[in-house]
Amino acid sequence: MRLTLPMLMAGLALAASAAAQGADQRIALREMTHGVSPVVPNAAASSEWTRAYQGRDRGPEQTERFSRKVKIGRDGRVSIANISGDIVVTSGAGDEVSIEAVKRTRGSQSELASVHIDVDERQGRVDVQTTHTARNDHVSVDYTVTVPSSASLDLHSISGAVKVTGVRGPVRAETVSGNVTTTDTPKLESAKSVSGNVSLTGAATDGDLSAGTVSGNLTAKGMKAHGLDLGSVSGDISLSDVMCDRLGIKSVSGSIEYGGSIAKSGRYDINTHSGTVRLVLANPSGFELNANSFSGSIRSDLPLTIGGDSARRDRDRRRRDTGFNNHSMRATFGDGSATLIIRTFSGDIIIAKR
Amino acid sequence: MHPNETAINAYVEESLDPVERREVEQHLASCASCRQLADDLREVLRAATTLGLREPPVRAWSRLERAIKLEREHAAPQDAPGAPHAAWTGRVRWAPWLAAAAALALATAIGLRFMPTTGPDPAASNQPGAGATIAAGEAAQSVETELRQAEAHYEKAIKGLEQIASSEQNALDPATAATLQKNLAVIDQAISESRAAVRSQPTSDPAQQSLIENFKMKMGLLQDTVALINEMRKGNEAGAARIASGLKQKGD
Repeated sequence: MRLTLPMLMAGLALAASAAAQGADQRIALREMTHGVSPVVPNAAASSEWTRAYQGRDRGPEQTERFSRKVKIGRDGRVSIANISGDIVVTSGAGDEVSIEAVKRTRGSQSELASVHIDVDERQGRVDVQTTHTARNDHVSVDYTVTVPSSASLDLHSISGAVKVTGVRGPVRAETVSGNVTTTDTPKLESAKSVSGNVSLTGAATDGDLSAGTVSGNLTAKGMKAHGLDLGSVSGDISLSDVMCDRLGIKSVSGSIEYGGSIAKSGRYDINTHSGTVRLVLANPSGFELNANSFSGSIRSDLPLTIGGDSARRDRDRRRRDTGFNNHSMRATFGDGSATLIIRTFSGDIIIAKR
Repeated sequence: MHPNETAINAYVEESLDPVERREVEQHLASCASCRQLADDLREVLRAATTLGLREPPVRAWSRLERAIKLEREHAAPQDAPGAPHAAWTGRVRWAPWLAAAAALALATAIGLRFMPTTGPDPAASNQPGAGATIAAGEAAQSVETELRQAEAHYEKAIKGLEQIASSEQNALDPATAATLQKNLAVIDQAISESRAAVRSQPTSDPAQQSLIENFKMKMGLLQDTVALINEMRKGNEAGAARIASGLKQKGD
């Protein structure tokens, strides 16, 4: 492999396998982000560090609770930045934000005091920031927050899950390591993770929605947006009951399934290298299809009119004459008002009727 | 002492006053690295003029915002009031970024030719007889040459980003580093497959598009990886989470 970050990864890969899951992993991540963890120059050293770290973390769990209520108004803004631990947000009545947090450690009880939860209140907004003042604490903080139902939310975590339910204002939810789950968030703008899954239910926006993950799966149900911009490298992307005017999906090795409607004059651009693309369309009025795959097959359950302009047909004929077999198709269905561009390298392309 | 990248950029854009311009010219005459930087910036400008208007994808804006923010943060200490000479600093820290940007701009300019279109294909001429055969052959050769140029520029840009990433490698936690490594390897495998397909069938649209698309994916993931490393290194966890928002590497 030609790549790339090579020394970094070679040294750290072993540590990654041993660096445990859950709280262990979260704390390791936080330590690294502070730049206070041991330098890990090679695999042997990193493994040693990991063993030492795990040994420190096997005591009984110590906890400390934090509680705060802040009035921000019904349309106020809430931001929460966490380093290690989950963030769970639900909507409630009224115009108050209720912040409940639990600091946890399996190290010394005194570590808990070194982690501060800073609540910055301003007119119509509250910003919550988790600050670790000690250099080697092993504390995670789990937030359970209730916000006014129309509040706007901006949630960021490094290591931990982010979950939002029933918030009807604009929502952005992002984490590096952990799952992102949103339910009934009609103005979701962004939901992203690096190594976790992203699961969206009942998301809608008048504008554009962007969601993605590097290695996790992305699933969405009941989404509505003007533009959808979705992506993954190795995870699968599965959408059902989707409505949008403009769709862009990219993946490398993941499969892509789109279940939903096709808008008149909409544009839908789907690209994966080796995954299968499957479209399950609900009564489309029509589309022009431009599908191609280097080695995958193309199949449609809908009755398509094959062919495009004459120049394209001539070129296709020349290619047949020279032995090319590029598995490409230009075709029209119904009124041809929407545009579907689907590309794979080795994955199959399937268009099915719902 | 080197002029900073802002001064070199202004020099390339011909917006320096005569005195500053002469100072930069004198320095460039004796400094190969700054001369290279100036050349790279000229290439960026030249490539930018060849780009047609395209609607940027949604993700491009957040990435641009992030880049601007990072640039400001980096530029701030150098441009602080009271600095001895804002345009002249000890090192040109952004040279690798700009070199990568130059290569990427060129690759993008060339690579756009390989993106699919929904309209008639201009390459598919409809001329009859021997003339058509010759025209098709010339077109194929031209496309192949341009594809190789795009490949070379993408590889140069990728190499630059890899150098940046590996030089600041200790900032990432093991699990995230392993995830990124694994997924970069997935993209490398895809590039390898696409490249083999292009070599065996040089005029295949799916093979060409796939190769360019995979280069873009890798560029995007590396750009975000470097940005994440940068934020982690500064201990800015909230910023790192925002950077992670771009880590779906779609490569624009």
